[in-house]
Amino acid sequence: MYEPKIISYLCTYCSYPGADLAGISRIKYPPHINIIRVLCSGRVSPELILRTFREGADGVLVAGCHFGDCHFINGNHRTAKRIPILRKILEYAGIEPQRLQLEWISASEGERFAEVVREFTETIRGLPPIREVLG
Amino acid sequence: MKRLEPLKKVVAEALRELDGVLALRAKWGGVAPHLFKGQEELEELAIAPKYPLPQTLRLIQRAHPESRLGLVVRGCEERGLIEMAKRNQIDLERIRVIGLACTAEEAQDCRCARPYPGLLTDIIVGEKTEAVPNELVEEFLSKGREERLEFWKKQFAKCIKCYGCRNACPQCFCPECTLEDEIWVETGRIPPPFPSFHLVRAMHTVGKCVGCRECELSCPANIPLTTLYALIRREVEEMFGYETGGDLEAQPPLVLPMELESGDGI
Repeated sequence: MYEPKIISYLCTYCSYPGADLAGISRIKYPPHINIIRVLCSGRVSPELILRTFREGADGVLVAGCHFGDCHFINGNHRTAKRIPILRKILEYAGIEPQRLQLEWISASEGERFAEVVREFTETIRGLPPIREVLG
Repeated sequence: MKRLEPLKKVVAEALRELDGVLALRAKWGGVAPHLFKGQEELEELAIAPKYPLPQTLRLIQRAHPESRLGLVVRGCEERGLIEMAKRNQIDLERIRVIGLACTAEEAQDCRCARPYPGLLTDIIVGEKTEAVPNELVEEFLSKGREERLEFWKKQFAKCIKCYGCRNACPQCFCPECTLEDEIWVETGRIPPPFPSFHLVRAMHTVGKCVGCRECELSCPANIPLTTLYALIRREVEEMFGYETGGDLEAQPPLVLPMELESGDGI
């Protein structure tokens, strides 16, 4: 069984503190996730996600503030439109769209963050390594 | 060539009021864009093969913003004009659009869903023909995931990274192109690594691609790019209810915050 590598882009105002809370609260979640803090989930461009896959990430998790909570008012609206369409493009290109996930996680949802990571890691574990797919 | 004579007449009429009409000219055994200024030049007016005239128009307008120009467009080019106008690339106020309907064969070649203009103009030369269903898309959709991957890997392996698809695209006008940035597309490799080059470009066609097929026509490796872009266009329509190039009012989905889109806030 292979151990997947997962990269997550967490927004610095909601999801990153959410992950922090999971840590402070001593909630266990799989160690396959590598967290990269970004200023806003809207900053995660499709190019960045595609390069992340190219560099060998088996899964990419993008998490941002719930609607209405965005520090930049509507930065996450862009993410909310961009990610579903990119998932579709991945699907048409023959790459499993499950590899890319978008979640809204607030600073108080430590338990939820752990839950999302657990589920996502399981999903990715069920897929072949990205290097086999991209070749 | 039933369309050529009526088109000449319409262009000749437009020339009386305008500074020039941008259309295709047959000369020296080839066809190229030309800005017709005088009646005597019209002898050389040509129709086919199609060529992305809106790009040329954009460059002329950049250099001469005060000019009043006419432009001969097909259905796809007209939709392209609409998308360009939304992004402030051209000034529709200063253009007179002369429509040219495609023949049934041309529509068949492009698998075009709307092979005639009529959104920006009432002047249409030629007979409107029926929309053609895109059987390549249907065929592609019947493939499973692994088949799709194999298909695109094989196609993209032919790419020589000539940037022809980008250069021919009426919607590609960024002064700095992501595809040339080594952060996103590894340099010094042919074919460009899958999936960066082609999927970045695919992502950039969201809400922009009007299916004019210029990318595919210019591709020296015959990569069926429009199959992918047609799927994306369909997806944009389903997901955001946005018909690319469909009308001047609707705003492109990826640049619009949601509260403006729905009108009632979130």
